[in-house]
Amino acid sequence: MSTLAYSEPYKLSAGALALLVHGVFFTLLYFGFSWQMQNPQGMVVDIWEDLPQSEEAAVAPPPPPQAEPVRTEQPAPPRAVKSAPAKAEIELKAKKKTKKPKEEKEEVVARLTPKQLAAQKAAYAKRLQQESEQQAREAERLAQAKEQAAAAGRVVDEYVAKISAKIRRNIVAPPGVSSKIRAEFDVTLLPGGQVMETELTRSSGNNAYDSAVERAILKSQPLPLPPDAAMFNRFRDLHLKFSPD
Amino acid sequence: MEVTHDLSFLPLIQNASFLVQMVMGMLLLVSMMSWWYIFLKMFAIRQARSQSDAFEEAFWANPDLNKLYKDYLDDSDSAGSLERIFGAGYAEFVKLKKKHGMDNAAVMDGTRRAMRATYQREMDVLESHLSFLATVGSVSPYVGLFGTVWGIMNAFRGLANVGQATLAHVAPGIAEALVATAMGLFAAIPAVVAYNRYSHDTVRLSSRFESFMEEFSNVLQRQP
Repeated sequence: MSTLAYSEPYKLSAGALALLVHGVFFTLLYFGFSWQMQNPQGMVVDIWEDLPQSEEAAVAPPPPPQAEPVRTEQPAPPRAVKSAPAKAEIELKAKKKTKKPKEEKEEVVARLTPKQLAAQKAAYAKRLQQESEQQAREAERLAQAKEQAAAAGRVVDEYVAKISAKIRRNIVAPPGVSSKIRAEFDVTLLPGGQVMETELTRSSGNNAYDSAVERAILKSQPLPLPPDAAMFNRFRDLHLKFSPD
Repeated sequence: MEVTHDLSFLPLIQNASFLVQMVMGMLLLVSMMSWWYIFLKMFAIRQARSQSDAFEEAFWANPDLNKLYKDYLDDSDSAGSLERIFGAGYAEFVKLKKKHGMDNAAVMDGTRRAMRATYQREMDVLESHLSFLATVGSVSPYVGLFGTVWGIMNAFRGLANVGQATLAHVAPGIAEALVATAMGLFAAIPAVVAYNRYSHDTVRLSSRFESFMEEFSNVLQRQP
């Protein structure tokens, strides 16, 4: 007699169940688990630094003579610099525009009835007004951008000063150091004010003072940074100078 | 090997190297077979137990061995292990009793031998495939590990060709490779559990068969 007889009827159902187990397992793996990884959004980098400068270079026309010295020599009061050339330019253009139509008008006058003449005049006037308005708007926008850049510059100056002050407070200068020496450091910052790297670019001649400054830089972490994260790019690489007071 | 950033499930398998794919396929096959045996054994053991219960109940309730034997012969296909042991023993006993001049001890010896032979055959059937489950349980983690090690070796070899190595370069390769280990474990864990469970069950069944054989011998010895 066949001793295997009793296991025969179950072969199929056992096979079906085994398939079912695997099917369930793989469905679970496939749908019940999020395999896809999302790339972090933090990799998008905005470089703000270049934007205002390039705009200035591109937009600013060959400036009128009286504005020139101010603009090239002194970047310090950029607000005054900005509005001066822009206004001059607008005036210049406006003058040109007003001159041209007059000449044309005189040529055409003979062939036109007074009514047509009046209509044309009105159209000219309107166009002129529009153009000058547009230019004024543009100038205003430019001035705003300038102002923002200047404000940013002020914030940068302010915080660089804060950083220097904080570090300076932490310097424990060795005794007998001359107050004329100066140590210069390149400091690379991380967002949040942590110091990634400090590099001595110009030694003060006194090693003890150099290392005292370096210790002070490290001790001053986190360095003060403006709350606006977009400003951080201006603080990534700092060049700081220290002299004993 | 190419560096892939798609970590969804199917590409993870498709992008694996050939050897790793082979290992995965083998593990899948082994896992299928082990689950098949798991269910097969589950049904078989459950049936053997219920048949033994039924037969023992019938045996102790009914003192007429001839009628039991006739029932067994009538319906030998649905007979369980215990019933077959009884049938073999009783048939041998009747045959030996018919021969004159044999003493009682010799008859009992022959009967016991016949029952033991059937018992061993039944145990052999009950224990079949258990060794397969044991093998799967102990070996498939190693097979999966082999696939993983191979995959990671490949991942690192690919890494050597990339100038600046980041975690993003190695991670997909390692994830691919680890799928092999996961599959090995998926095959092994149920197999080990089932093996332990079923070997325990068969040991219990076998001791039950043996005690029945002893009791049945006593019953036969009392026969006139």
